[in-house]
Amino acid sequence: MPTNRLIVKEEVAVYAAVLFDGAFEAGGQEAVLEVRDQMVRVAGAMRTNMELSVALSDPGYTPEQRGELARNVFAGCNPVLLDVLAVLAERGDAALLPRVLENYAEQLQSKLNLCVVDVTTAVPLDDALRRIITEKAEADLDTNVVLRESVDKSILGGIIMSTNGKRIDASVASQLDHARNVLKTTTDGGEC
Amino acid sequence: MKDRAKKASTRMGVAAVAGAGMTFAFPALAFASEEEAGGISAILPDMAEFIPMLVIFILLWIVLAKLGWPKFEAMLSKRETMIKDALEKSEEARIESERVLEEYRVQLADAKAQAAQIVADAKQTGEAAKADITAKAQSEATDMIAKARTAIEAEKKAAIAELQSSVADTSVAVAARLIGEDLSESEHRKMIERYVNEAGSFDAN
Repeated sequence: MPTNRLIVKEEVAVYAAVLFDGAFEAGGQEAVLEVRDQMVRVAGAMRTNMELSVALSDPGYTPEQRGELARNVFAGCNPVLLDVLAVLAERGDAALLPRVLENYAEQLQSKLNLCVVDVTTAVPLDDALRRIITEKAEADLDTNVVLRESVDKSILGGIIMSTNGKRIDASVASQLDHARNVLKTTTDGGEC
Repeated sequence: MKDRAKKASTRMGVAAVAGAGMTFAFPALAFASEEEAGGISAILPDMAEFIPMLVIFILLWIVLAKLGWPKFEAMLSKRETMIKDALEKSEEARIESERVLEEYRVQLADAKAQAAQIVADAKQTGEAAKADITAKAQSEATDMIAKARTAIEAEKKAAIAELQSSVADTSVAVAARLIGEDLSESEHRKMIERYVNEAGSFDAN
């Protein structure tokens, strides 16, 4: 596994380009976005499952065994993504997946002028809200925006938007946390 | 002069002793002459007796003067010297005793002065120690009070912080429950819309 920063960066770019081009050729923008969504879930699974993450990079297994493991674990994913994950595992580069995802998002924006914004709310969005959110994101990012919606009751209310490492947290839960911190740190009897 | 008077009295004493000795040596002659002669002759000496008695007296006086008196005088002189020496020694002893007594008095006075000085020093030292101990005790008491006040203040702040934290947690929990249960979906969506409009932009982050 190379350790040179520039070489690794080049490798990540190659992985992302292969993935993007393969997905686009296979199904156009929809496939590209599908691969992106699946890659987000795979990265999340590897981040939360340490045993899987270690096994995919374990030099104790042969490259073929690691590739087979990746294909079996992520069998339901897009074939292009599945091939790239298998290659990452065979070469011992499974830990590079988050960086591949970042580079993939950059290529998505540069090649399709498209940005995916993850939106989390406590209730499902309606069309009017989708339009408002899309317009705001497009105005901020100066690019076309695709929303990826998710419902999470734990945020209590409000909205959380994130894209390419940028995040807007306007949830009720975070505002209550802020209020809780203010109440705890205020020393003048709680009067702010 | 004293010696001469002593010698004269001594010689008269010797003569008296000699006369008495003759009287005791020849008592029959003396009483016989008194009985034969009457009147004045009773008080006049009989020459026949007187001369031998005188000769004997003189001889006895000479013998005593030559043989007895020097020894007697030497004995007296020796005794006089001894008494004189004894007196001188007693005088010297008295003077020495007075000197020693004076020395003792001086030493006693010195000892008294030293004792008084020691007592004064001890008193002064005691006063200093007392003042030192008092000051130290006061300092320690002040430190203890300050530490106690600091500890009380810290405990008070901790209690207030804990209470404040508890109140904050409870308030937030109640607010969260009210919001989660009481808001309808339409109210949620209105809130989302308001937050999207009020929220900062991605460019600002």
